[in-house]
This record gives sequence, C-alpha cells and structure tokens, in this order.
Amino acid sequence: MNNKQSSRRGFLKATAGITAAAVAVPSLFASQNSKNENFYGYEDKTIGSFLKLKSAGEMDFNYPDADSPCKAVWVNGEIKAYSLLCTHKGCPIMYSASSKSFRCPCHFSEFDAELNGQMIIGQATENIPEILVKVKDGNIIAYGVNGLIYGRESNIKG
Amino acid sequence: MGFSINDKRPLPPVGATKKNITCEFCIVGCGYTAYKWPKGTSGSNKTNALGVDFSKQQPALGVWASEQMVNSVTDRDGKEYNIMVIPDQDCVVNRGQNSARGGAMAATLYSKSTFTRDRLKDSQVFGGNNLNRTTWRDATDLTARVLKKIIDNDGPDQVAFKAFDHGGGGGGFENTWGTGKLFFTAIQTRSAAIHNRPAYNSEVHATREMGIGELNTSYYDTELSDTLFVIGANPYETQSNLFIMHWAQNLQGATIEAKKKEFDKGETADAAKIIFVDPRITASITNSIALAGEENVLHLRIKPGTDVTLMNALFSYIHEQGWEAKDFVKKHTQGFTKAANTNIISLNEASKVTGVSADDIKKAAAWISKPKKSGHRPRTAIFYEKGVIWGIKNYENIASIVNVAILTQSVGRVGTGVCRLGGHQEGYVRPPTPKGMPDRENLVVIDAEAAEGNYLAFFAWGCNPFVDSIMGERLSGAFKRRSEIVKKAMSRNIGADNETMADAIYRACKYDGGLFFIDIDIYPTFKTEVAHVSFPAATTMEMNLTSMNGERRVRLSEKIVDAPGAAKPDCLIAATIANALKFLYEKEGNSKMAKRFEGFDWKTEEDAFNDGFAGQGAKMDSQGGPTGALASYDLLRENGNNGVQNPIVKVSNGKLVGTRRLYTDNKFGTKSGKAMFKPTAQPPMPRQVANQMKKHEFWVTSGRLNEVWQSNYHTSRLPMPSTRWPLAPIQINPKDAKEKGIQSGDLVMLYNDYGSVRVVAYVTDSTRSGELFIAFGFPNSPASNIVTDFVDPDTKIPFYKGTAASMRKIGRIEDVANSMSFKSRI
Ligand code: SF4
Ligand code: FES
Repeated sequence: MNNKQSSRRGFLKATAGITAAAVAVPSLFASQNSKNENFYGYEDKTIGSFLKLKSAGEMDFNYPDADSPCKAVWVNGEIKAYSLLCTHKGCPIMYSASSKSFRCPCHFSEFDAELNGQMIIGQATENIPEILVKVKDGNIIAYGVNGLIYGRESNIKG
Repeated sequence: MGFSINDKRPLPPVGATKKNITCEFCIVGCGYTAYKWPKGTSGSNKTNALGVDFSKQQPALGVWASEQMVNSVTDRDGKEYNIMVIPDQDCVVNRGQNSARGGAMAATLYSKSTFTRDRLKDSQVFGGNNLNRTTWRDATDLTARVLKKIIDNDGPDQVAFKAFDHGGGGGGFENTWGTGKLFFTAIQTRSAAIHNRPAYNSEVHATREMGIGELNTSYYDTELSDTLFVIGANPYETQSNLFIMHWAQNLQGATIEAKKKEFDKGETADAAKIIFVDPRITASITNSIALAGEENVLHLRIKPGTDVTLMNALFSYIHEQGWEAKDFVKKHTQGFTKAANTNIISLNEASKVTGVSADDIKKAAAWISKPKKSGHRPRTAIFYEKGVIWGIKNYENIASIVNVAILTQSVGRVGTGVCRLGGHQEGYVRPPTPKGMPDRENLVVIDAEAAEGNYLAFFAWGCNPFVDSIMGERLSGAFKRRSEIVKKAMSRNIGADNETMADAIYRACKYDGGLFFIDIDIYPTFKTEVAHVSFPAATTMEMNLTSMNGERRVRLSEKIVDAPGAAKPDCLIAATIANALKFLYEKEGNSKMAKRFEGFDWKTEEDAFNDGFAGQGAKMDSQGGPTGALASYDLLRENGNNGVQNPIVKVSNGKLVGTRRLYTDNKFGTKSGKAMFKPTAQPPMPRQVANQMKKHEFWVTSGRLNEVWQSNYHTSRLPMPSTRWPLAPIQINPKDAKEKGIQSGDLVMLYNDYGSVRVVAYVTDSTRSGELFIAFGFPNSPASNIVTDFVDPDTKIPFYKGTAASMRKIGRIEDVANSMSFKSRI
C-alpha cells in the first residue's frame, strides 16, 4: 500500500470528522498581552518540552486557541510548527515523518514541513500557516501565526 | 484581535454588491460568488453577507475566504473597495470547491498594491525608445491608417492575426465575435492563427469528421460511468474540480445510488474503474489509486508517440472478443471494414510497439467493453487532451480514440462520452472564414510564414506566440528582427503626424522587411517589447462575459470592477479599430469599403453578445447553434452559476432549458447521420523530431503544473505560484540525474538544433530514464524554444509534446533552489 492509499482511510475518517467539527464551539478569547513586535495580539503559549519534541519528532498542540489544531515537528535540526487545517477546505492534514511533509486526505494537497509549509502540489491557494515558536527554559513557546488559519476571518477570534 | 500582515481578512457587510462569476481559468468553469463593498465598511464576524458566523471555527468543506480570495481595488471613480471571490456552494459544477487556480481569482484583480499593478492601462505607441502611453483615438487612428494602406495596396491577407478562440478570461463569446467580425467580415484576411498554435484550425478535426462533437457528455454523467478512460491528460492538475468533485465520488463508490436510478433495471452498478494512458506517473494516477484502490486503476505507460497503436490494439482485441456494440455498429456507424483493414493488429505486435504488456491491453479492453455481471454493456467515458492533441499526429491520434468509442457505443448513453477534457473554456462564435480559406490540409502555418518574412502587419491578440508556438526561439528572433526595422523607421520620423508615421511604417514593412506588430493584452510581456502599438484589454470580472465549459454549460460571468485605466473588453477594442477604418474610408468617399466596416456600433459587451451569439444563430459558426438565439443576458443571469447546457432547447417559465448529453438519438454529425470509423495507421516519427533524436540524448515532453495557468500571466504575479515555480521545472528520473551529476534545484540547460532553455532540475520517479518532462508556458523558460517546426500535415497542429534535446548542468541559483520544494508530486 502506498502512502496515498493509506490516506484513503484517512479520507473516510476525515469526512466523518466533518460533522463533529461543524458544531465546534467558539473558544474563549485569548488575552492580548503579547510583547512580540510583528505579531500583535497573540499570547505566548507553552506547547511542550523541547527535548521531548526532539526525541519524538513531532508534537501536537493547539494555537492560538483550542479550535486550532497544530503540530510542531523537528526537521533539519530546527523546530517547525504548522496549523493542521488544510488551507484548501479545512480537512485535517496528516504528517509523514518519512517525507517530512503534510498530506491532506480530502483532495490530496501536500505541504512541505521543511519549507515553511509550501504547497508541494494540491488545490489550496496558500501554504500552510506557520506557527512561530521560540525556545525558552527548555520549553517551546508559540507566539504568533504567519498566514490565515482555515475557517476564520481572523486568527484571533473576537 | 491578532495582527500580523496576513492573519485577518475583512468580511462583506450584509447588502454588499454580489455577482456571479465563472472561473476565468480552466475548462471546468466553476461557479464563484463575488462580493464588493466600500473600503472602511465591513461585516462583523457574526453578521455578514456570507451569512456565516465567523466567531466560530468553520467546519471543513465549509464557506471560507482564504487570503487570495480577498483583494482591494480602485474603481474609475477613484473609490476604493474590498473584493471577495469565493467558490459557490450552489453551483453544480464545483459545489463550493475551488482549485489552486480559481481560488486565487480575487488576487488576480488589478490592485495598486500587488504585482498585478503592471496591468496595461492605456493604449501605447512606440516613440523614442519605448512604448509611450497615449489615447485610444491616437493609437487606433495610427493603426487604422497603416492597416488601410496594406488592405488597399497589398490586400487583406497581408494583415495576419493570431488570437484567442476560447472562453473564460481573455476570451468569451463577446470577444471571439468582436475579433472574428473585425478580421473575417471587415478586414477579410485569411491569414489567421489561433492563440496556442500556428494556424487557424480545430484541435479535433478528426472527431468532428467522424460525426461526433468533442464535448458530448456532462460532468454528472461521469459520476455514472463504469469505466473512465483517460488518454494524454492529467485531470487532477488541469481539470481539477472535475476530478475532485465528480470522478473522485465515482471512484469511491459514492454515486452507486445515483447509478441505480439512472441505469437499466437489474444492471450492475459498482464504483468506477479508471484507465490512464500516459508515459509519466502523474498525480491523477496516484490520487486515483488512493481513491479507488490499486486494483481499480490501470496505468498504461506507453512509449511516447504510440497512442494510435494502443488504440488500434484495443479496437482489435475488443472486436476479436466480440465485445463491441454489435447492434449499434450495424445501425449507426459506417466504415468499419475499411478501418479494420488498416487498424487490426495483434496483441504481441502492439505490445512491442507501445511497451504495454498484452495482459494490460486485454485488461483495459475488458474494463472498457466486456459485459458486466448483469450482462449489460459497461458505460465507459473516454477523455483525451493535449497528450494526444499535441502528439505525434493530431488527426490519427484522435481518430483512433473515437474508433474505440464508437465500437463500444461509448457515446450518447448515460455515463458515456468521448470528449476532449479541454484547456480553456470554450466561447466560439465567429463569422465563417473568408472565401478562399484553404481546407485543413492546405492551411497556411501563419507563425512560420511570419518568421520567414511574410505579412506586413501582425496582431497578437490575447496570446503569446513567443511561448505558445512552434520553434519558439527562431520565431521570437524573427519577430524581433522585423519589429526593429519598423521601430527604426518610426524613430526617423520624430514628431510626425499619424498619416506621415503610418506611411513610414508601411514603407518599412513593404520595402524593408519590417512587420507592424500590434499587441492586445492585459499585461506587458516579452511580445509587448516588439510591439509598435499596444492596446489594453479588460478581462473576467471587469466585463460581462459568457463562455461554455467542458459540458457545454454557458454562464454569464458578471462585471464587478472597472478595468484598469482605459482598458476595454476585446470586442469593444475590435469595434474601435473597425470604426476607425470605417471613418477613414468614409472620409475618402469609398462607401463600398466603409460598408465592410459597418456593424460595430456597440456600446457594451452585451451589444456584441446580442449581435453574435444571440443574434446570429445558425448563420455563423457558433457553439450556440441555431438555438443560441434564445439566449439573452437577462435569461442567463436568471440561470445564475448553473447556466444552461448547449444546445438550448427552449425557454420555459423564464428559464433557459438545455441539453445534458449529446447523441442520445444516435444521430451523428455526418451526411448519413452515422458515426464514421477511420483507418488509423501508426504515424512514423516526424523527420524533424527523428533528426533531433539522432543527435540528442533525451526525449522531451511537456505539460502543465496545477498552480500555473497558461503563459503564467496572472500566476507569475501571485505570491504562492511565483515562489513555488520561479522558473519552469524539468522532471528528471533519478538515474539520469545521477549520471549527469544533477540534483534537484540545479539549473540545467536543454538544447537542440532549434534552441535552448534554462530550467530547474526536479528529480522524480514521475518520468522514466531517458525521458524528460518540462513545464510548458513559462515565458522566462519557454519549452517552445526546443520544439521543432513539425505540424501534422493533415491538420497543421504541432507536435509540442515531442522533441529531443541534450541536457547540461549549468550550476545553481541558490535563491531559486531555496525557494522551491522538490518533494515528490506523485
Ligand atoms: S477547476 Fe478550473 S474552473 Fe474550477 S476553479 Fe479550478 S481553474 Fe477554475
Ligand atoms: S481540504 Fe485539503 S486538499 Fe482539500
């Protein structure tokens, strides 16, 4: 079975998940105390331990709020983090550690985890939004989002 | 509220202007909705024109505007507006889905703050050392004066034109009519060529002559097919929403209920199988495997140029097995025996020629034609596109496919069809070509003639011959040389009035080998650099525009913004030129000639529509046919993004009613009404190409990338595709790359006797060793530079898909190599 065939199962799962997502509740408004110069309004959020990501290779978290699933990955000796909602029509994209890329099971868009989420092929009009992260005291901290997250008119709801 | 540069988008307020837009890009013609509202006003996340509560995260497959779906524009009154263009949930073509191309339509709009800001805004005339902005009156007056001298002294055939004949952006029924009427009725030139090829011809003469129009099924019918048979096409990348919204459902078995309703009683209804004929592994193939499972996807990986033999083998084996539609063949076809005499071939022989195993040929034949469990004939829909249209020999390539279709009655029935997939949308309505226009076999190859020094004036209208023609490097070189002669003459006449200048231009063309070059387009391109006059055109969303998609669905795509500067719809540009010529003839009292230029008193594009598509009916060559006359802007507006499928049948309760599928009555477009088989012998490799193969190591084919549209005019100005594809990539098999010491990201030169091109190496298993694939249509690395001058002698359609070249590593441009992903696209 090739990678794409395995993602076929994902398609069915993803389609089932859509109904659930349809009743997603609004998350609470994030507070606005970020000190970051370019990314106003985002809150620093600790997403996990740096060493843990380094050994596991990937780490799920939500940012900037609970409705926005994201993943941090360890590639080429750096941390990269992305939204997991496909910028085509919002299906959850899946990470392949072997190719260091994300695949969308719905319409097969693929995004490069090593290159700022660039679309490798597919039907989205944007690359995958990149979550900006920094390391402080052994923890990974998310502090901004570069790109509009699927399903929103503003990354920070309010 | 968060703020970076790209994490928030405005929303249209309730009451924002709302219009229907048909996607300006590919043949599928997806429906979009555009909203426009004054800057400074905005809907709230709870209350907005979309009726979507954005205080909540939207579910997958919901309504959403990505960054590229929003833009800000300035209308001619100086007022600024926000624009949002999103896929229409209620359009049956795309059901709310966008592709990478269509989803970026808002971003393609002229905006002062993006890379689209270099749109052509005014007419320009060459003076000094470059084009100078001027008025419409000045530029058309000069153009008309030169044209008049040529028409009067040398005859209209000395005015050559190369223009779009399609629908969508840069085309449409209004504009093909306007340009066609100017050149064929008014000027009356026979020196015509179509936008992407060097002569004035159909790309599908064969199927038409066999009695079958090339767009005969509906997208809904493809949801009902038992077998999809795809030859020389990559629909995931080039007809994206047809694949995603229609075929994918069928391949997954999601349309079985619909099949049960539409099929005969007791007829087997399963998920579809799909067959691809392609020398490459494409994303369409791997995605089909993901959708349908390996066992339901068959990839016939032929040797390039052997499609005819493969089709003949299918024809032979189906006949041998007795799987043909016997009753249909007997009653509704002719020419079987004559065709069979030429076409019958053994599986072994065919396997040797094509490189496809006999077992796979058998399997394909069974999927296409072997009766189903219930005993019913399978419903096979056959689709082909540029891989064969631009293949080794256009006529036989297509005829051999249609042979298989009529042998198996893959036309007219529910779930069947034998169609081109299409590139642009369609939108053809033109007067017949002028008297004396040669038949297809004797057509003049206009681009080659122009390069040889023929013609005195040349219009390049909404097309780019430097990128989309044969022997590109030689052609652009010739245009530059001939243009320079005219430019020099113009420079010697500084300050001259238009009559004096026109005389100088005319003399430079007539006596010194010059070519007066008129460019009509929306952006400046390399071809604008050779122009002496340039006119700015309007495009989708800047004008009302009607086109027809790949299932003959006609929609009115509405105007929502003003075109930049003084740009006009092409039909009105044609009218302006015609009226300028009429004025000159009237002034000299030549009423006979003045009369030829009458009938252009159009104020709007709707006037051109009413004169052409809706006004002419069967009198003209119209894709609307006789019943096109039933259409009007009001009725089309009423039918919205779902439009009406040609031919229109009637108007019922204020709605246009059309035709889902053609040939349901088995009456075909030949004199006898029977579909016609054709003898199709395997064409030999053309001499020009064979010569290059002797001298150069690699076979080179070409094709499209999902994200890049046509000559990259819009897409090279958009952030995503321009970073993704700064230059054309060349797909190289890992084995060849290793031998040549080439890595992904290296700059590579391809060269042969016709020219050279620099491209970026993309190492992939998509192509076989010895075969390269170059992305077509990049003006900054044009694949056409190494294309030979061969055209099918019977149709004058080029063999763009086949040439040979040597490959040499040049080095590496880090900026390019670092900006692109080189991961597998299959
Ligand atoms: S599939 Fe074609 S028509 Fe549809 S959105 Fe994409 S480019 Fe436009
Ligand atoms: S939702 Fe991801 S490709 Fe369509």
